[in-house]
Amino acid sequence: MTIPPNALCFGDEFPASGIPCLVHVEGHGLTITFPSDHDEGESRSESVSFSTVTVSAGGLDHDQLVLTWTGSTGPRTLYLKNPAVIRAFRQAAPEHLSRPLEQAAQQVRQVRQRHRTVWTVVGATLVALVLGLWFGSDVLVELAVDRIPVEWEQKLGESAYREFLAGQDVTKDGPAVAAVKEMTQRLAGQVPNSPYRFEVTVVKSDVVNAFALPGGYVVVFTGLMKKADSPEEVAGVLAHELNHVLQRHGLERIIKQLGFVAVVSIVLGNPPGLGGVMKQLGIDLMTMKFGRAQETEADVTGLQLLYRAKINPEGMITFFQRLAEKDEGRVEWLSTHPMSSARADHLKAQLAAMPKPKAEPFTFEWATVRAGLGVPSAAIP
Amino acid sequence: MKSEILYPGAFPMVRIELAEGEKIKAESGAMVACSPTIDIESKMEGGFLGALSRKFLTGEKFFFQTLRASRGAGEVLLASTVPGEVVILELDGVNEYMVQKDGFLAGADGVTIDSQMQSMTRGLLGGEGFFLLKMSGKGMLVLNSFGAIHKIELKPGQEYIVDNSHLVAWSSTTSYNIEKATSGWVASFTSGEGFVCRFRGPGLVFIQSRNPGGFGAWVRQFIPVSE
Ligand SMILES: [Zn+2]
Repeated sequence: MTIPPNALCFGDEFPASGIPCLVHVEGHGLTITFPSDHDEGESRSESVSFSTVTVSAGGLDHDQLVLTWTGSTGPRTLYLKNPAVIRAFRQAAPEHLSRPLEQAAQQVRQVRQRHRTVWTVVGATLVALVLGLWFGSDVLVELAVDRIPVEWEQKLGESAYREFLAGQDVTKDGPAVAAVKEMTQRLAGQVPNSPYRFEVTVVKSDVVNAFALPGGYVVVFTGLMKKADSPEEVAGVLAHELNHVLQRHGLERIIKQLGFVAVVSIVLGNPPGLGGVMKQLGIDLMTMKFGRAQETEADVTGLQLLYRAKINPEGMITFFQRLAEKDEGRVEWLSTHPMSSARADHLKAQLAAMPKPKAEPFTFEWATVRAGLGVPSAAIP
Repeated sequence: MKSEILYPGAFPMVRIELAEGEKIKAESGAMVACSPTIDIESKMEGGFLGALSRKFLTGEKFFFQTLRASRGAGEVLLASTVPGEVVILELDGVNEYMVQKDGFLAGADGVTIDSQMQSMTRGLLGGEGFFLLKMSGKGMLVLNSFGAIHKIELKPGQEYIVDNSHLVAWSSTTSYNIEKATSGWVASFTSGEGFVCRFRGPGLVFIQSRNPGGFGAWVRQFIPVSE
């Protein structure tokens, strides 16, 4: 056969992939010529009358013309894709086929139309999302954050946590660790049904800092504990940090900073790459600053948490104020938590609006904790 | 052009004999060895944008290589990166195959490779990205898989359900719908699993006996987290 095949024919005795064939449209119907198996062999032909053929659209994108009929050798299905053959068929086809032909054509148009519509909607949504993120629409960020399972957040936070701790002098036990654990337990106990299991580590360092990573990984530096005059002050910082976790502030920042890339990678179904994308873009969980609204939220919810845990919230306010005033040592916490008098005033107002707190003491002695940290006992006020 | 699968099974290699002037397309990195008469050209199939979109949306390598027997007849040896079977198909000008991004190993020069956008739901839910490689034209097409390749033959109207992570290639005469296998779309988001394709014949569907994503997840649990 010299003319290349232009259609695929399926039938019971043919392989499932179909047999390539040459379709000729004639006045009465179709002539289908099958190539011979070997070059010298005779090619074989079948004729089909229009009257026996039914017509539909088929194939992966419903863009092929499918003809079916029952011939002398059983059912036959013919897939036509070649535009010239399809045109010839439409022209030659008798009256009774014109309606199904029109329906098939309609189906093809509908599929194309639907594809176009869906892509337009998705494109518009993507653009809206990107613009929304770009202009910092918190609603969209929150929507995106809501979709991210806690397990991802924990994985993200945990890897940063382990990486950070690897280079630190970790205090494994002792009064300071016990004290921080007790505070965290009392605070976390006031958040029922929380998906987060808080893990706290005390790091031996004179840096005055504490932070919480997404997923509930908390680090407290001994420098911060040494600065505190009472356990309530440390508990105040912890309450604030725990609320960054509970309100998922870290994720909000990540989504905001990643913006387009995050959305695209999530939409395209490659969320495990999120951590890698963050690394590429140089987003560091450790030095990530929260927004002012997030700080206020963590302050206020932290204050309420202290109140529910029956820890005197005054400690939080006095500690914040003292950290801001004294310009001594490396108060790293301030670089991520800029202190302002407005912030303390806001907290004071919040506290004044609450009923009188009923404080319960901790089981440990703060003096013992401080002595364990190497603070001379005379320094205790 | 003559082709032969050496060492059929998990670690096969394909030998392709080229007459002088003949050339083939191969996935970049697929070439293991060749005669000194073979020249290797990196060519961007489908132009720069085609290559770029392929790269971006299917994660496919940017270039296909063209291996040309420009200085006399010779042979090339090709193999894929992952352990898995190889299958050689013959395109006759009318049959066309859709191939998953990692399924292509090599093709004759007469084989045309197009990136084809799939419908939105298929792209979103299928976890195969939005683009597939569409193979048309004439000549030999070499596919590779992860694990063994299994051929499913579908008669007209016959249906079959396949986990989408096991798909390698399928004829364009088939049609398919993505269906949810489990509830909870977030779970399928993270694992890329939980969706199946309901294929409808006529045509062939080639599946692989192992799931690359599942294997990756299995390996990952043995890799210690750096402390
Ligand atoms: Zn804060």
